[in-house]
Parts: sequence; C-alpha cells; structure tokens
Amino acid sequence: MSANIDTKQLIACQQCDALYDKPELKQGQSVKCIRCGSTIAERKVDSIERSFNWSLAGLFFLVPAILLPIMGVTLAGQYHHASLLDCILVLIDRGFFMIAILVFLFAIAVPIVRLFGAFYITYSFKFNKLKPSLLHFLRAFHHLDNWAMLNVFMLGIVVSMYKLLDDTDLSVNMGLFAFILWLISSTMASAALDQDYIWQRLEDEFVD
Amino acid sequence: MSLSINTAKESNLALCPKCHKLNQLRDGDSHQKIQCVRCHGFFYQRKPHSLQYTLAWNIAALIAFIPANLYPIMIIYSLGIGDPSTILSGIGQFVDHGLYPIAAIIFTASIIVPLLKIAGLFLLVYRVHTGVRLRPDKHSKFYHILEFLGPWSMLDVFVVALLVAVVELGFITSVAAGPAINYFTLTVIFTMIAANSFDPRLLWDKKQSNE
Ligand SMILES: [Zn+2]
Ligand SMILES: [Zn+2]
Repeated sequence: MSANIDTKQLIACQQCDALYDKPELKQGQSVKCIRCGSTIAERKVDSIERSFNWSLAGLFFLVPAILLPIMGVTLAGQYHHASLLDCILVLIDRGFFMIAILVFLFAIAVPIVRLFGAFYITYSFKFNKLKPSLLHFLRAFHHLDNWAMLNVFMLGIVVSMYKLLDDTDLSVNMGLFAFILWLISSTMASAALDQDYIWQRLEDEFVD
Repeated sequence: MSLSINTAKESNLALCPKCHKLNQLRDGDSHQKIQCVRCHGFFYQRKPHSLQYTLAWNIAALIAFIPANLYPIMIIYSLGIGDPSTILSGIGQFVDHGLYPIAAIIFTASIIVPLLKIAGLFLLVYRVHTGVRLRPDKHSKFYHILEFLGPWSMLDVFVVALLVAVVELGFITSVAAGPAINYFTLTVIFTMIAANSFDPRLLWDKKQSNE
C-alpha cells in the first residue's frame, strides 16, 4: 500500500486482476496468467512491418470488395447480382433501416475504420511520425474491437450460396474474391498489431 | 494457489481497460472515476453496477428473442405467391434438403448461441451475487467462450440481407425480409452488450472475499 508504486514495473491480468512484475519479453514471447490462464503480455514478431503491409493490402481490396458484385442468380433467363453495398441499399429501400445501419456498421464501417486505424498507426511508427494525438486515436480504435464482423459475413455468404444452389443457377463474381482477400488482410493486420508495444512506445515518448 | 496472488485492486491499483496501464488510486476510493495517465480515458477499477446492467440487458435480450422466433424472418415470393419462414422453419428446410452441416451451423448461431449466452450470463450473475459454488477458473473460461461466440449470431441477419439483395428477379422470384429480423438483431446486440457489461474480475474478487 505504499504511496509510490512504480506502475511501469507492474502489470495486471485483464481478466482476473492478478498483479505481476512486468516481464522483459523478446519478440515472439508471451506470458500467461498463472491464475486464470489468459495471456497477460505478448511481444509480436515484426509487428509494425507486418501490420503495415497487411493493412496496405486491405486498403487495396476494400473498394472492390464493397462495390463489385459478390454473387448472382439466373432463373428463367433472368439474371441479377448484388454487391455488399447493394445489400444495404436494398434494406433501406425496403424500410429496414435499423438492419441496414447495423449491417453497414458491422460489415463496412467498423472494418474500414479499423483498417485505416491500423494503417495510420503502423505508418506513423514505420516513418517515425509519432504524435501525442496517436494516444487518443489508439484509444478510440479499441472501442471497435468487438464490432467488426467480416468473418461472420463471410460465413453468411457461404450459407446463402447453399440456400440458392438448390433452385437457381448460381454464379460467383469478382466481388467474392475481393471480399475474401479483404477479410484475410484485415484479420492479419489486426492480428499482427502489437498493442502492448505501441502503447509502451507512445508512453515513453509522450507521458512523463 | 490463489492465496499467494496479489491483485491490482488490493494494491490500490486499477487497470485501464483500453491501454492496460496500471493507474494508482489517489485517495483509496475504489468507486471513483479514474482518468488514465497514459491514454487519458476515463474508467473505473471495476465496471460499476456490472451485475445489474448485465441482468437488465440479458432480460431485454430474452424478451426480444420471443418475437424473433414467432414472426417470419424471410418471405420467399415465387410467381407472386409468398412463402414465409421463421428461423426454425428455415433450418427445417435445410434439413429437408439434406444439408445437415449448414442446418447445424445456422441452428448453432441462431438458437443455441443466443440461448446459451442468455442462460450463461444469468448463471454467472447469480453465482457472483451469491458466491455459491463459484469456480472462477471454470467460470471465466465459460465467460470468454460466450463473449467470443456473440457476433456469430449475426449470421442469419447477414444471410437474409444477402438473399434479399441477390434474389430480385421481379415476378419470377424475390425475397423479402420479415419482421423477425429486427427482433433477432436486437437479441444479438443486447446479449453482446450484456456480456460486455459483465466484469469477469468479480468472479475472482468474490472467491477471494469468501476465503
Ligand atoms: Zn488472470
Ligand atoms: Zn489507459
């Protein structure tokens, strides 16, 4: 209970609050909580470089993934296809505003913001353009952690294909490939991002 | 084993949920709002009224889940005749077509996961509140599974959105969304907020105060 605990030398488990001395980790090492088993700290390998490259790739696939048609159906000589954006427009058109907004948020807006976020953070580190505003930016970035659902949407595409396969002539379009590449790049970009390291660097730089 | 462990709370420290920086409490008041020295975000040592919020959102989720299953989630029109299907009858159609793996995936995402989440959170709240047969190691793992599974329940909503957009062949065939999709989405959102409101550290706090 002493008044001057050096909080830089300590670390606590996010899940059970157990307190530990901060370990010195090398790249690729991680430590687990001995009480609840969750990961307390992790140093990822080549985090900035890998996350930067993946987020750059993600930004490249983003526009075709959203705008190009994902799949189409043919029945009795008629053909129709739809893109990710069409799903939202059609919901608005039919009056399902809440669903349209949520699908937009979970499958487009949040993934885009996260991707731009990862790109901006890693860009700033890679080219040594660290600014105090990054602290606020990174904190806002964490609010979105649970709400990106590209992977769920991907499973939705697979299920709808099975549903359509039976009665119609199903065709797969370029949008699907772009979407899969976007999903992979976004997932890799956030997985590679070493948040402990980034926070530590920003703290050393801007917090006394 | 748990006796040898010191927690941040016992040392008058609080962990920032966003940047994971340990902050020192100034006057030892564990209910005060803290501003993180590193990211400047505001937080509490423990989520305030965690159990009450979890319970409230959980009840809301349970209520929304009832109309979500009674109303049709999707109506398939072919040659002008509408064929409405609920979540369960949609799963039944996949079973009829022999597509068991897909039927199992949707059944898990749309029925098992929401119900498991609602029942599981009720159980966790009850256990933390009473301290009866509390097993923090088991229960915190269970909580993480619930938290991880949450977003996958949106599956059916995405499927309906895709089908409505793709199957638009005028009079020949088209798909419309049914009112259940609103209630079902609310169920998913409410359970996600309920899980978010729960503070798993309460499991360990309670256990330690019991010993
Ligand atoms: Zn722990
Ligand atoms: Zn913080």
